Amino acid sequence: MKKFSLTLSALAVVLLSAACTSTPTASLLDRAREDYRAVSNSPMAATYAPLETQQAGDALALANGAAQRYESQAQIDQLAYVAQQKIALTREVINRRSAEAEIARAGQQRDQLLLEQRTTEADQSKLKAQMARNDATDAQRSTEAAQAATADARRSTLAAQSEAARAKQGTQAANADAANAQRMAQEAQERSTRLETQLSALAAKKTAHGMVITLSDVLFGTDLSRLSAQGMRSVQKLATLLQDNPQRTVLVEGFTDSTGSEAHNLGLSERRADTVRDALLSMGVAQSRVATHGYGEALPVAANDTAANRQLNRRVEIVLSDDMGAITPR
Amino acid sequence: MRTLSKTILPLAAAMAVALLFGCSNMKSPATTDVAVTNAAVESAVGAGGTQFAPVEMNAARTKLALARQALAARDYALAISLADQSRADAKLAQAKADSSKARAAADLLEEDIQILRQEINRNKP
Repeated sequence: MKKFSLTLSALAVVLLSAACTSTPTASLLDRAREDYRAVSNSPMAATYAPLETQQAGDALALANGAAQRYESQAQIDQLAYVAQQKIALTREVINRRSAEAEIARAGQQRDQLLLEQRTTEADQSKLKAQMARNDATDAQRSTEAAQAATADARRSTLAAQSEAARAKQGTQAANADAANAQRMAQEAQERSTRLETQLSALAAKKTAHGMVITLSDVLFGTDLSRLSAQGMRSVQKLATLLQDNPQRTVLVEGFTDSTGSEAHNLGLSERRADTVRDALLSMGVAQSRVATHGYGEALPVAANDTAANRQLNRRVEIVLSDDMGAITPR
Repeated sequence: MRTLSKTILPLAAAMAVALLFGCSNMKSPATTDVAVTNAAVESAVGAGGTQFAPVEMNAARTKLALARQALAARDYALAISLADQSRADAKLAQAKADSSKARAAADLLEEDIQILRQEINRNKP
């Protein structure tokens, strides 16, 4: 009897709990079927809980079988309850496994992010390093520019120094030139002074065709073309003058009076000019510097009426050239 | 009548018992069933079923106790039925605990990632 009452009370508990979850007991199996359809149709079930879905299906099949065999409602409800708990379990397993999958994905994502963070940090430090390098390069460039500037300045200084040295040399050369010029001027001065003295000693006269030195008849023997001792002294003075002034040349011109034939007088004038020339050559004057010309009785300096005047006409005139060796033609 | 009733009643009772609870050789599977269910309930408790699925856990415990009583009363069919229900409740409780923990872990990780992402974005030049 005790056993029977226990059985009854147990059945009551089962029925009560079944009744709590679903008021019409007939629909407990219907709800289990509906729930199973929903779960087994979701793609998640096949992915995350194939075994649990299978087991829920098996439990539901048991309940269905009990219903088909018209077993007691308590039996059907009990089996439907188990099936429904297994369906719920399937849902929970799906939830858990999808959460686990999420965790796996999140883990990968976190690793990815950490990697990204490290990459960012590395990039930043690389950027900093690059910037530092750029700064260093700039600094070096500045240094090089400064060095180049210094080198330029040094070059400029050297150039200026050499310029100054050249200028100094130029100045020195100019000074030397000036000194030379002064010396030459002095020499020229001295020479001209001496020339004047010599010319005055030779009683030179300034004429239209230059300085003319007249050697008179007394210096030659009458009708002779030989020089007297005094004549030789005068010619010696002239030779000295020519040696002191090497650029000057002379033209030796012979003249006679009108006594005698014209041809004779021409020859005589030529001979006397030649005599003077020969004397000059014997005294070391170059032949090229001495030219001669006989004029005979032409170009008298006085009338041939008196003996004194005729003597004046018998003469040799020596025309001195200018500094360039040129003689103004008569 | 008395003898009939004396002979029929125990027979009817025996027949009824046999009809209701099946054969007495269900003792061994019922015992095994209850033992397995006990293990399942303990496992669910260990997984935090009491915390994460108190309703299922309570139902599992109650039904396990009733199953033990049924087993003691040699009502093996009831014991098996109660044990099956209890086990289904216990397993559901454990699955709920597991899925709740997994969900919490996933959410925590998601939060971590969110923070990490913000940090990276802040550090980005």
